[in-house]
Amino acid sequence: MLDFLIYLLTVVGIYGMVSLSLSFQFGRTGLVNFGQVAFFMVGAYFSSIATAILGLPVGLGFIIAIIAGGLLGALMALPIGDLRQDYWAIATLAAAELIRIVFLNVNLGSDYVGAAYGITNIPGPFREYFTTTTYGYFYLGLVAVCVVAAFLILSWVGRTPYGRLLKGIRESDEVARALGKDVRVARIHALSIGGAVAGAAGSLYAHFVGFIDPQFFMPIETFLIWAMIIMGGPGNPVGALVGTLVVQVIYNSTRFIQFASEYASTMAALRMVLIGVLILLVILYLPQGLVPERRRRYGARPSGKGSANTGGGHAA
Amino acid sequence: MIQVIIDSLIRASELALIGVGLTMVYDILRFASFAHVQFGTIGAFVALSISLLLPVPPVLAIAVGAVAACAITGLLGILCDRLIFARLRDRAAAILMIASFGLGMVMQYGVQAIWGAGPRSFPLPLTRPWVFFDARLSPTGAAVIVVAVLIMLAFHLVLTRTHLGVAMRATADNQPLAESSGIFTERIIRIVWFIGAALGALGGIMLGLVAQLQANMGFEIMVAVFAAAILGGIGNVYGAVLGAAVVGFAENIGLVINWAPIANLLGLTSSSHVYIPVGFKMGIPFTILILILLFRPRGLLGRHA
Repeated sequence: MLDFLIYLLTVVGIYGMVSLSLSFQFGRTGLVNFGQVAFFMVGAYFSSIATAILGLPVGLGFIIAIIAGGLLGALMALPIGDLRQDYWAIATLAAAELIRIVFLNVNLGSDYVGAAYGITNIPGPFREYFTTTTYGYFYLGLVAVCVVAAFLILSWVGRTPYGRLLKGIRESDEVARALGKDVRVARIHALSIGGAVAGAAGSLYAHFVGFIDPQFFMPIETFLIWAMIIMGGPGNPVGALVGTLVVQVIYNSTRFIQFASEYASTMAALRMVLIGVLILLVILYLPQGLVPERRRRYGARPSGKGSANTGGGHAA
Repeated sequence: MIQVIIDSLIRASELALIGVGLTMVYDILRFASFAHVQFGTIGAFVALSISLLLPVPPVLAIAVGAVAACAITGLLGILCDRLIFARLRDRAAAILMIASFGLGMVMQYGVQAIWGAGPRSFPLPLTRPWVFFDARLSPTGAAVIVVAVLIMLAFHLVLTRTHLGVAMRATADNQPLAESSGIFTERIIRIVWFIGAALGALGGIMLGLVAQLQANMGFEIMVAVFAAAILGGIGNVYGAVLGAAVVGFAENIGLVINWAPIANLLGLTSSSHVYIPVGFKMGIPFTILILILLFRPRGLLGRHA
C-alpha cells in the first residue's frame, strides 16, 4: 500500500509538471494545445535515446529532453502563430499523432529497438546508490524538486511584464496587437516554454518506468491532462496540481476494485467515460474549476456589478 | 490506376459525409467540434446491432439498420446540443472545443464499454467484386459511392430549394438578423445537429462496411476529416465535399507515386524507388493540413479568415 502511494505520488508529480505546462499554455496564454502528449513523448524518447541507446549520462538526457520539448513547441507554433484557436487545436492534435506515427514506424539503431518494440533498459539516475525501496523514495524526491522548480519558474514568468502580455493575449489578441505587441512571437514562446517543461516531465517518466513505447503516448493522454487542468481550474497553477491529483486518483482507483478479468477492458473504458463526464460537469457548473484563478484587482474596488465574486467569470 | 480512383472515391465519400456535418456545426456555432467524428462510430455500431437483430436477409437488415442508426444518431446529436452546447452558447470557442473533446471521449469510450474494444464487421455476404481492366470494385464500394453522391445531391437541393435550407444558411450567416426575420434559430440549430450527426453516422457506417468497426475508428479519421473541412474552407459545405475529394485522392495517390525524382533532386537518396510506407499514410492529410494553414488558412472556398 505504501509502495503504491509512493508510486501514485511520483506519477502525480510527473503529470503535475505536464499539467502545469498546459496550464501555462492554455490557462495563461489561451493556447488550445490538443497535442500536449507530443512534448511529453518527445522528452521521453529523446532522453531514452540519449541514455539507453547512445549511452550518455542521464543528466544530459534530461537536458536534451528539455531542449527537444522547447524546440518542438517553437516548431509546432511556427505555422499557426497568427491563426485562431480552432486551428491551433486541430494542428497540435494532428502534429502529436504524426510524431507518434513516426516513432511507431522508425527503428532506432537496430532491428528490435524503437518502432513498436519501444525502448527498454532505460537507466534510472543514481540507481546504483539505492535499494529498490529506497530508490522509490529518492525518485519521488527528485520529481518533487522538479515540480517545485517548474511551478516556481512558470509562476515567475507569469509575474513578469512578459507574463502579463501572455495573459493579455488570452483575453484578447486584438488588444495586444493594438498595443504593438507581437502576438505571434509571444505565442511561439509560450508553447515553447510549456513544451520544455513537458519535455522534462517526459524524461522523468521514461527514467522512472524504464521502458517506453508509442502506445504510452496516445491522444488519450492529452485528454487526461486537459481533464486535470479543467477540473483543477485552468487559470491557476495550484489548480493544475490539484486537478492532477484528482484525475490520477480516479484513474488509478479501479486498481482496488475487484472484478473479473474479462471486464478489465470495460472497466478501463468506463473510467474514461467517468472522467469525460466530470470534465463536462465542471465546464457546465464550475467554469473556474476547483481552484479559481486569483485575479489581481487594480485601483479602487468597483461598486455594484463586476465585484470580486463575479469578476472575470466570463472574461475568458 | 483505375483502382486508385475507385479507392479514392470510396474514401472521399466517407470523409465528405462526416466532414459536411462537421463544417455545418462549425458554420452555425463557430467552433470546431472534436466530438463530431464520434457520431460516425456510434452510428456504425448502432447500425450493426440493429442489423444483427433483424430476421431478414443481411443486405436488407444492414440497409434498415443504417437508416435507423442515422435517425437515432441524429437525435443523439440534438441531445448533445441540448444537454451541453446549448448551455455554453455565450462561452468562448476554446471552452466549446474542450467540451466537445470531453464529449468525444465519453462517446468513444462509451462505445468501447458497450461493444468492446475489438474489431467487428457487418454481416455482409461474400460477393465477387466486379473486375474491369485491372481494377476491382466490390458491390459494397459501389453502393458507398452511389449513396454518398445521392445524399450530397439531396442535401444540396435542401440547402438551395427549401425554406429550411434558406433558414439554415441565414442562421449561419447572421444569427441576430435571422432571428429578427422571424426564424426560430434555436430550432434551426437543432436541425443542423440532427442532419450533421445523421450524415456523420452514415459516413461511419460506410467506413464500417468498407473496412471494420472499431471503437476508435472515429478518432482515427479525425485528422483526415478536419483536413478536408479546412482545405475546403471550414464552414463551407461544398468546400467540405471538395476537400474530402482532395484528401481522399491525395491519400491514395501519395502511396502509389514513386517519389524518387523529387527525392533525388533534393539529394535525399539516390535510390530509384522511393515510396511512402503505408504506416505513414496518416501523414498525408496532416501534410495537407500544414500546407493549408501556412498558405491559405481560410481554405479553398472559405469565407472566414
